[in-house]
Amino acid sequence: MNQIGLVAQSPLDQFEIIPLIPMNIGNFYFSFTNPSLFMLLTLSFFLLLIFFITKKGGGNLVPNAWQSLVELLYDFVLNLVKEQIGGLSGNVKQMFFPCILVTFLFLLFCNLQGMIPYSFTVTSHFLITLALSFSIFIGITIVGFQRHGLHFFSFLLPAGVPLPLAPFLVLLELISYCFRALSLGIRLFANMMAGHSLVKILSGFAWTMLCMNEIFYFIGALGPLFIVLALTGLELGVAILQAYVFTILICIYLNDAINLH
Amino acid sequence: MLEGAKSIGAGTATIASAGAAIGIGNVFSSLIHSVARNPSLAKQSFGYAILGFALTEAIALFAPIMAFLILFVF
Repeated sequence: MNQIGLVAQSPLDQFEIIPLIPMNIGNFYFSFTNPSLFMLLTLSFFLLLIFFITKKGGGNLVPNAWQSLVELLYDFVLNLVKEQIGGLSGNVKQMFFPCILVTFLFLLFCNLQGMIPYSFTVTSHFLITLALSFSIFIGITIVGFQRHGLHFFSFLLPAGVPLPLAPFLVLLELISYCFRALSLGIRLFANMMAGHSLVKILSGFAWTMLCMNEIFYFIGALGPLFIVLALTGLELGVAILQAYVFTILICIYLNDAINLH
Repeated sequence: MLEGAKSIGAGTATIASAGAAIGIGNVFSSLIHSVARNPSLAKQSFGYAILGFALTEAIALFAPIMAFLILFVF
Protein backbone atom coordinates (compact mmCIF):
# COMPACT_ATOMS: atom_id res chain seq x y z
CA MET A 1 0.00 0.00 0.00
CA ASN A 2 3.05 2.25 0.19
CA GLN A 3 3.59 2.39 -3.55
CA ILE A 4 2.05 5.80 -4.08
CA GLY A 5 2.68 8.57 -1.57
CA LEU A 6 -0.95 9.68 -1.45
CA VAL A 7 -2.23 6.40 0.10
CA ALA A 8 -3.16 6.89 3.75
CA GLN A 9 -1.77 4.65 6.41
CA SER A 10 -5.05 4.06 8.18
CA PRO A 11 -8.66 4.82 7.27
CA LEU A 12 -8.73 7.56 9.86
CA ASP A 13 -5.92 9.56 8.28
CA GLN A 14 -8.32 11.54 6.12
CA PHE A 15 -9.61 13.24 9.26
CA GLU A 16 -6.24 14.64 10.25
CA ILE A 17 -6.14 18.34 11.11
CA ILE A 18 -3.17 20.08 9.56
CA PRO A 19 -2.24 23.62 10.67
CA LEU A 20 -1.73 25.56 7.46
CA ILE A 21 -0.68 28.85 9.09
CA PRO A 22 0.53 28.10 12.62
CA MET A 23 -0.24 30.88 15.07
CA ASN A 24 0.26 30.42 18.79
CA ILE A 25 -0.53 33.02 21.43
CA GLY A 26 1.09 31.70 24.59
CA ASN A 27 -0.59 28.35 25.12
CA PHE A 28 -3.56 29.04 22.87
CA TYR A 29 -3.64 27.40 19.49
CA PHE A 30 -5.04 29.93 17.05
CA SER A 31 -3.65 28.35 13.89
CA PHE A 32 -5.44 28.51 10.59
CA THR A 33 -6.04 24.82 10.02
CA ASN A 34 -7.55 22.96 7.10
CA PRO A 35 -11.02 22.78 8.73
CA SER A 36 -10.88 26.58 8.92
CA LEU A 37 -10.01 26.73 5.23
CA PHE A 38 -12.88 24.46 4.28
CA MET A 39 -15.34 26.28 6.51
CA LEU A 40 -14.34 29.53 4.78
CA LEU A 41 -14.80 27.83 1.40
CA THR A 42 -18.27 26.60 2.39
CA LEU A 43 -19.35 30.01 3.65
CA SER A 44 -18.00 31.80 0.60
CA PHE A 45 -19.62 29.25 -1.71
CA PHE A 46 -23.14 29.67 -0.47
CA LEU A 47 -22.81 33.41 0.20
CA LEU A 48 -21.58 33.96 -3.36
CA LEU A 49 -24.37 31.76 -4.69
CA ILE A 50 -27.05 33.80 -2.92
CA PHE A 51 -25.33 37.10 -3.76
CA PHE A 52 -25.14 36.43 -7.48
CA ILE A 53 -28.76 35.34 -7.57
CA THR A 54 -30.23 38.26 -5.68
CA LYS A 55 -28.29 41.21 -7.07
CA LYS A 56 -29.92 43.54 -9.61
CA GLY A 57 -33.07 43.84 -7.55
CA GLY A 58 -33.68 40.23 -6.64
CA GLY A 59 -33.54 38.07 -9.75
CA ASN A 60 -35.92 37.55 -12.65
CA LEU A 61 -39.63 36.93 -12.35
CA VAL A 62 -39.17 33.73 -14.35
CA PRO A 63 -36.32 32.04 -12.52
CA ASN A 64 -33.40 30.34 -14.14
CA ALA A 65 -31.92 27.17 -12.66
CA TRP A 66 -29.68 28.75 -10.01
CA GLN A 67 -32.43 31.04 -8.81
CA SER A 68 -34.78 28.09 -8.56
CA LEU A 69 -32.25 26.29 -6.40
CA VAL A 70 -31.88 29.22 -4.01
CA GLU A 71 -35.65 29.73 -3.87
CA LEU A 72 -36.11 26.01 -3.20
CA LEU A 73 -33.71 26.06 -0.26
CA TYR A 74 -35.22 29.27 1.14
CA ASP A 75 -38.78 28.00 0.81
CA PHE A 76 -37.89 24.65 2.32
CA VAL A 77 -36.46 26.15 5.51
CA LEU A 78 -39.27 28.72 5.67
CA ASN A 79 -41.89 25.97 5.61
CA LEU A 80 -39.92 24.05 8.20
CA VAL A 81 -39.86 27.00 10.60
CA LYS A 82 -43.51 27.91 10.04
CA GLU A 83 -44.72 24.36 10.48
CA GLN A 84 -42.71 23.42 13.54
CA ILE A 85 -42.92 26.50 15.71
CA GLY A 86 -46.65 26.66 16.28
CA GLY A 87 -48.75 29.00 18.33
CA LEU A 88 -47.01 32.26 17.57
CA SER A 89 -47.73 35.19 15.32
CA GLY A 90 -45.87 35.39 12.03
CA ASN A 91 -43.56 38.17 13.18
CA VAL A 92 -42.17 36.21 16.08
CA LYS A 93 -41.61 33.14 13.94
CA GLN A 94 -39.58 35.16 11.46
CA MET A 95 -37.23 36.07 14.31
CA PHE A 96 -35.78 32.59 14.34
CA PHE A 97 -35.71 32.08 10.61
CA PRO A 98 -32.31 33.63 9.69
CA CYS A 99 -30.40 31.63 12.29
CA ILE A 100 -32.01 28.37 11.23
CA LEU A 101 -31.53 29.12 7.53
CA VAL A 102 -27.83 29.80 7.99
CA THR A 103 -27.38 26.67 10.11
CA PHE A 104 -29.12 24.53 7.51
CA LEU A 105 -27.18 25.99 4.57
CA PHE A 106 -23.86 25.74 6.40
CA LEU A 107 -24.38 22.09 7.31
CA LEU A 108 -25.74 21.20 3.88
CA PHE A 109 -22.82 22.71 2.01
CA CYS A 110 -20.25 21.44 4.51
CA ASN A 111 -21.54 17.89 4.16
CA LEU A 112 -21.77 18.07 0.38
CA GLN A 113 -18.29 19.52 0.13
CA GLY A 114 -16.94 16.55 2.02
CA MET A 115 -18.12 14.30 -0.79
CA ILE A 116 -15.58 15.79 -3.20
CA PRO A 117 -12.61 13.39 -3.39
CA TYR A 118 -9.53 14.49 -1.46
CA SER A 119 -11.42 17.26 0.30
CA PHE A 120 -12.00 17.57 4.02
CA THR A 121 -15.33 17.08 5.76
CA VAL A 122 -15.64 19.79 8.36
CA THR A 123 -18.57 18.19 10.18
CA SER A 124 -16.78 14.88 10.67
CA HIS A 125 -15.03 16.29 13.73
CA PHE A 126 -16.84 15.94 17.00
CA LEU A 127 -15.53 19.25 18.31
CA ILE A 128 -17.06 21.22 15.45
CA THR A 129 -20.51 19.62 15.58
CA LEU A 130 -20.51 19.66 19.38
CA ALA A 131 -19.67 23.38 19.41
CA LEU A 132 -22.54 24.07 17.03
CA SER A 133 -25.10 21.91 18.84
CA PHE A 134 -24.05 23.03 22.32
CA SER A 135 -24.22 26.74 21.49
CA ILE A 136 -27.62 26.31 19.83
CA PHE A 137 -28.84 24.37 22.87
CA ILE A 138 -27.72 27.17 25.20
CA GLY A 139 -29.41 29.69 22.89
CA ILE A 140 -32.70 27.78 22.96
CA THR A 141 -32.60 27.54 26.76
CA ILE A 142 -32.00 31.29 26.98
CA VAL A 143 -34.95 31.90 24.66
CA GLY A 144 -37.10 29.71 26.90
CA PHE A 145 -36.09 31.56 30.06
CA GLN A 146 -36.56 34.91 28.36
CA ARG A 147 -40.08 34.03 27.33
CA HIS A 148 -41.31 32.28 30.48
CA GLY A 149 -38.99 33.32 33.31
CA LEU A 150 -38.73 30.74 36.05
CA HIS A 151 -41.96 29.11 34.85
CA PHE A 152 -39.72 27.46 32.23
CA PHE A 153 -38.95 24.74 34.80
CA SER A 154 -42.52 23.50 34.50
CA PHE A 155 -41.36 22.01 31.20
CA LEU A 156 -39.62 19.29 33.22
CA LEU A 157 -42.83 17.98 34.78
CA PRO A 158 -45.42 16.81 32.26
CA ALA A 159 -49.08 17.21 33.18
CA GLY A 160 -51.00 14.47 34.96
CA VAL A 161 -48.14 12.87 36.88
CA PRO A 162 -48.83 11.40 40.38
CA LEU A 163 -46.88 13.21 43.08
CA PRO A 164 -44.66 10.35 44.39
CA LEU A 165 -43.32 9.82 40.88
CA ALA A 166 -42.51 13.49 40.36
CA PRO A 167 -38.88 13.76 41.66
CA PHE A 168 -37.64 10.85 39.58
CA LEU A 169 -39.44 12.10 36.52
CA VAL A 170 -38.01 15.60 36.90
CA LEU A 171 -34.50 14.18 37.19
CA LEU A 172 -35.02 11.94 34.18
CA GLU A 173 -36.44 14.78 32.12
CA LEU A 174 -33.54 17.02 33.13
CA ILE A 175 -30.99 14.43 32.03
CA SER A 176 -32.88 13.83 28.80
CA TYR A 177 -33.02 17.57 28.16
CA CYS A 178 -29.32 18.02 28.69
CA PHE A 179 -28.57 14.98 26.55
CA ARG A 180 -30.19 16.73 23.59
CA ALA A 181 -27.17 18.99 23.19
CA LEU A 182 -24.84 16.01 23.00
CA SER A 183 -27.03 13.82 20.82
CA LEU A 184 -27.52 16.50 18.20
CA GLY A 185 -23.79 16.87 17.70
CA ILE A 186 -23.00 13.15 17.99
CA ARG A 187 -25.60 12.19 15.40
CA LEU A 188 -24.10 14.43 12.74
CA PHE A 189 -20.52 13.52 13.65
CA ALA A 190 -21.19 9.77 13.73
CA ASN A 191 -22.95 9.74 10.39
CA MET A 192 -20.26 11.74 8.63
CA MET A 193 -17.28 9.95 10.14
CA ALA A 194 -18.69 6.45 9.75
CA GLY A 195 -19.71 7.09 6.15
CA HIS A 196 -16.36 8.47 5.09
CA SER A 197 -14.37 5.80 6.93
CA LEU A 198 -16.47 3.06 5.33
CA VAL A 199 -15.91 4.44 1.84
CA LYS A 200 -12.17 4.71 2.59
CA ILE A 201 -11.93 1.12 3.83
CA LEU A 202 -13.83 -0.33 0.87
CA SER A 203 -11.82 1.71 -1.62
CA GLY A 204 -8.73 0.31 0.04
CA PHE A 205 -9.98 -3.19 -0.66
CA ALA A 206 -10.78 -2.33 -4.28
CA TRP A 207 -7.38 -0.72 -4.81
CA THR A 208 -5.48 -3.63 -3.25
CA MET A 209 -7.35 -6.13 -5.38
CA LEU A 210 -6.73 -4.03 -8.47
CA CYS A 211 -2.98 -3.90 -7.81
CA MET A 212 -2.47 -7.64 -7.51
CA ASN A 213 -1.13 -9.13 -10.71
CA GLU A 214 -3.64 -11.95 -11.14
CA ILE A 215 -6.60 -11.72 -13.51
CA PHE A 216 -8.97 -13.21 -10.94
CA TYR A 217 -8.30 -10.40 -8.48
CA PHE A 218 -8.48 -7.85 -11.26
CA ILE A 219 -12.02 -8.85 -12.16
CA GLY A 220 -12.87 -9.39 -8.50
CA ALA A 221 -12.02 -5.76 -7.82
CA LEU A 222 -15.29 -4.85 -9.52
CA GLY A 223 -17.15 -6.08 -6.43
CA PRO A 224 -15.77 -3.56 -3.93
CA LEU A 225 -15.88 -0.92 -6.66
CA PHE A 226 -19.63 -1.28 -7.11
CA ILE A 227 -20.14 -1.28 -3.37
CA VAL A 228 -18.13 1.97 -3.19
CA LEU A 229 -20.36 3.40 -5.93
CA ALA A 230 -23.51 2.47 -4.02
CA LEU A 231 -22.06 3.74 -0.75
CA THR A 232 -21.12 7.09 -2.30
CA GLY A 233 -24.71 7.48 -3.44
CA LEU A 234 -25.88 6.65 0.08
CA GLU A 235 -23.36 9.13 1.49
CA LEU A 236 -24.76 11.90 -0.68
CA GLY A 237 -28.24 11.11 0.59
CA VAL A 238 -27.06 10.95 4.19
CA ALA A 239 -25.24 14.30 3.82
CA ILE A 240 -28.42 16.09 2.80
CA LEU A 241 -30.56 14.12 5.26
CA GLN A 242 -28.37 14.87 8.27
CA ALA A 243 -28.46 18.60 7.57
CA TYR A 244 -32.27 18.38 7.37
CA VAL A 245 -32.54 16.34 10.58
CA PHE A 246 -30.28 18.75 12.48
CA THR A 247 -32.40 21.69 11.39
CA ILE A 248 -35.75 20.08 12.06
CA LEU A 249 -34.64 18.97 15.51
CA ILE A 250 -33.57 22.54 16.31
CA CYS A 251 -37.05 23.70 15.26
CA ILE A 252 -38.68 21.03 17.46
CA TYR A 253 -36.54 21.97 20.47
CA LEU A 254 -37.34 25.63 19.89
CA ASN A 255 -41.01 24.74 19.81
CA ASP A 256 -40.60 22.85 23.07
CA ALA A 257 -38.91 25.81 24.73
CA ILE A 258 -41.41 28.38 23.51
CA ASN A 259 -44.61 26.40 23.99
CA LEU A 260 -43.67 24.19 26.98
CA HIS A 261 -45.47 21.12 25.63
CA MET B 1 -1.91 -9.97 21.98
CA LEU B 2 -3.24 -6.44 22.26
CA GLU B 3 -3.90 -6.39 18.51
CA GLY B 4 -5.95 -9.57 18.81
CA ALA B 5 -7.92 -8.19 21.72
CA LYS B 6 -8.56 -4.99 19.79
CA SER B 7 -9.88 -6.91 16.81
CA ILE B 8 -12.17 -8.98 19.04
CA GLY B 9 -13.47 -5.84 20.72
CA ALA B 10 -14.12 -4.13 17.39
CA GLY B 11 -15.94 -7.17 16.03
CA THR B 12 -18.09 -7.48 19.15
CA ALA B 13 -19.07 -3.83 18.96
CA THR B 14 -20.64 -4.45 15.57
CA ILE B 15 -23.35 -6.69 17.06
CA ALA B 16 -25.22 -3.54 18.10
CA SER B 17 -26.22 -2.93 14.49
CA ALA B 18 -28.78 -5.73 14.90
CA GLY B 19 -30.98 -3.58 17.14
CA ALA B 20 -30.68 -0.69 14.74
CA ALA B 21 -31.71 -2.85 11.79
CA ILE B 22 -34.85 -3.95 13.65
CA GLY B 23 -35.64 -0.33 14.51
CA ILE B 24 -35.29 0.95 10.97
CA GLY B 25 -37.36 -1.93 9.63
CA ASN B 26 -40.02 -1.03 12.20
CA VAL B 27 -40.15 2.58 11.03
CA PHE B 28 -40.56 1.73 7.39
CA SER B 29 -43.05 -1.06 8.08
CA SER B 30 -45.21 1.50 9.90
CA LEU B 31 -44.84 3.79 6.92
CA ILE B 32 -46.09 1.11 4.56
CA HIS B 33 -49.03 0.29 6.86
CA SER B 34 -50.05 3.92 7.23
CA VAL B 35 -49.75 4.68 3.52
CA ALA B 36 -51.87 1.62 2.78
CA ARG B 37 -54.54 2.94 5.15
CA ASN B 38 -54.48 6.54 4.02
CA PRO B 39 -52.69 7.11 0.70
CA SER B 40 -53.54 10.82 0.62
CA LEU B 41 -51.08 11.45 3.47
CA ALA B 42 -48.25 9.64 1.69
CA LYS B 43 -45.95 12.64 1.28
CA GLN B 44 -46.21 13.87 4.85
CA SER B 45 -45.86 10.35 6.23
CA PHE B 46 -42.75 9.90 4.14
CA GLY B 47 -41.29 13.04 5.68
CA TYR B 48 -41.90 11.69 9.18
CA ALA B 49 -40.48 8.30 8.16
CA ILE B 50 -37.27 9.91 6.91
CA LEU B 51 -36.98 11.82 10.19
CA GLY B 52 -37.48 8.60 12.16
CA PHE B 53 -34.93 6.80 10.00
CA ALA B 54 -32.31 9.45 10.58
CA LEU B 55 -32.83 9.43 14.34
CA THR B 56 -32.63 5.62 14.51
CA GLU B 57 -29.56 5.58 12.29
CA ALA B 58 -27.82 7.88 14.74
CA ILE B 59 -27.94 5.20 17.43
CA ALA B 60 -26.87 2.64 14.85
CA LEU B 61 -23.70 4.61 14.29
CA PHE B 62 -22.62 4.62 17.92
CA ALA B 63 -21.49 1.03 17.34
CA PRO B 64 -18.96 1.77 14.57
CA ILE B 65 -17.75 4.77 16.58
CA MET B 66 -16.96 2.48 19.49
CA ALA B 67 -15.37 -0.03 17.12
CA PHE B 68 -13.12 2.66 15.64
CA LEU B 69 -12.30 3.92 19.12
CA ILE B 70 -11.25 0.45 20.24
CA LEU B 71 -9.29 -0.31 17.08
CA PHE B 72 -7.42 2.89 16.48
CA VAL B 73 -7.33 4.90 19.68
CA PHE B 74 -6.74 2.53 22.59
